[in-house]
Amino acid sequence: MSRYDVNVLLYRLKKDRAFRERFRSDPAAVLAGADLTDEERQAFVRWNPRRLNELGGSLHLVLSIPDLSEHP
Amino acid sequence: MGQIVYAAAMSHVLHPPYYEKNVGPHGRTMVEELMAVVHEMGRELAARQPDALVVVADDHLNVFSFDAVPAMCVRIGRSVQRMAQEGAIEFDRALDGLAERYPVHEALAGRILEDGLEAGFDFAASWSAPLDHAFLSPLTTLYGDRPMPPLVPFWVNCFVQPLPPARRCFAAGQHIARVIADGPWNVGIIATGGLSHFPELSLARVGTSDVEFDRRIVGWMERGDHTSLTALTTKELHETGSHELLNWMVLLGAVSPARARVRFFGEMGRIDLAAVEWPLG
Repeated sequence: MSRYDVNVLLYRLKKDRAFRERFRSDPAAVLAGADLTDEERQAFVRWNPRRLNELGGSLHLVLSIPDLSEHP
Repeated sequence: MGQIVYAAAMSHVLHPPYYEKNVGPHGRTMVEELMAVVHEMGRELAARQPDALVVVADDHLNVFSFDAVPAMCVRIGRSVQRMAQEGAIEFDRALDGLAERYPVHEALAGRILEDGLEAGFDFAASWSAPLDHAFLSPLTTLYGDRPMPPLVPFWVNCFVQPLPPARRCFAAGQHIARVIADGPWNVGIIATGGLSHFPELSLARVGTSDVEFDRRIVGWMERGDHTSLTALTTKELHETGSHELLNWMVLLGAVSPARARVRFFGEMGRIDLAAVEWPLG
């Protein structure tokens, strides 16, 4: 599990609007070079915040990414 | 010789629409009651006319990235800016109308940092970290339209493992108290956050809190049982969603052995809200 890489991606999605927009239009392509396990990659591509959180993604990041997060 | 002239701790999402949306009308009502109490505490704080106000709070992955997460960080420099972040979470967006910059008490911040390094506390220093709701929501509720004194923002890493242990945060607070006692300033200190919410930082458990734990730790504060508080483990804090209690631990170290006076305690279900002060001298 690459907890650091998951969180670096989540942090960039939160902070970098251009990166976030590219991710929203083609997540698989944006993540092509990222050092992720298959499970992590699927959680990003299918945008499954709960799974990302279970895989080590910071709760405060998965809750706060513009246009992708909802406070439950 | 300086002294701490006011000390208090309080929850830091003081934004009624957030609780209305996520909890319902009783959530809004409870946080409005808390805010009224905090506002009154602010009148008492302002009346003490502190030369500086130390504010101990945490970063919600707004400021420090995973590339470097300081266990504790002192904000230095002449002023500190309000966080501006496109698409910020609603209770940070609510800060948009506030002043963009706040003065830093450069001399006190420098003493806490430099004397800390001499004393064995490897504090990080930041010239650029901005303030999010964890600082500005309580500060603006405390002060309203009154001018704030110069600030010493102090961050504790409450969320990115590994966390500084409770006893180390308490010791940092004792250090801050020594610096204040050795200096010429009258200083207020507040800590923010909590109480229990987001157990285990698990998305599946958002919406729950640990009321029994919160009653227990507030009771320890009222009795001045700082031995039990400093013995709390990171595992206990994580499981109960009490990560932000680390901010309170810094304050407890600064005011020990004073006993707390609870001004507000509310059990909301999603989070337990509190405002506590420590009568000094």
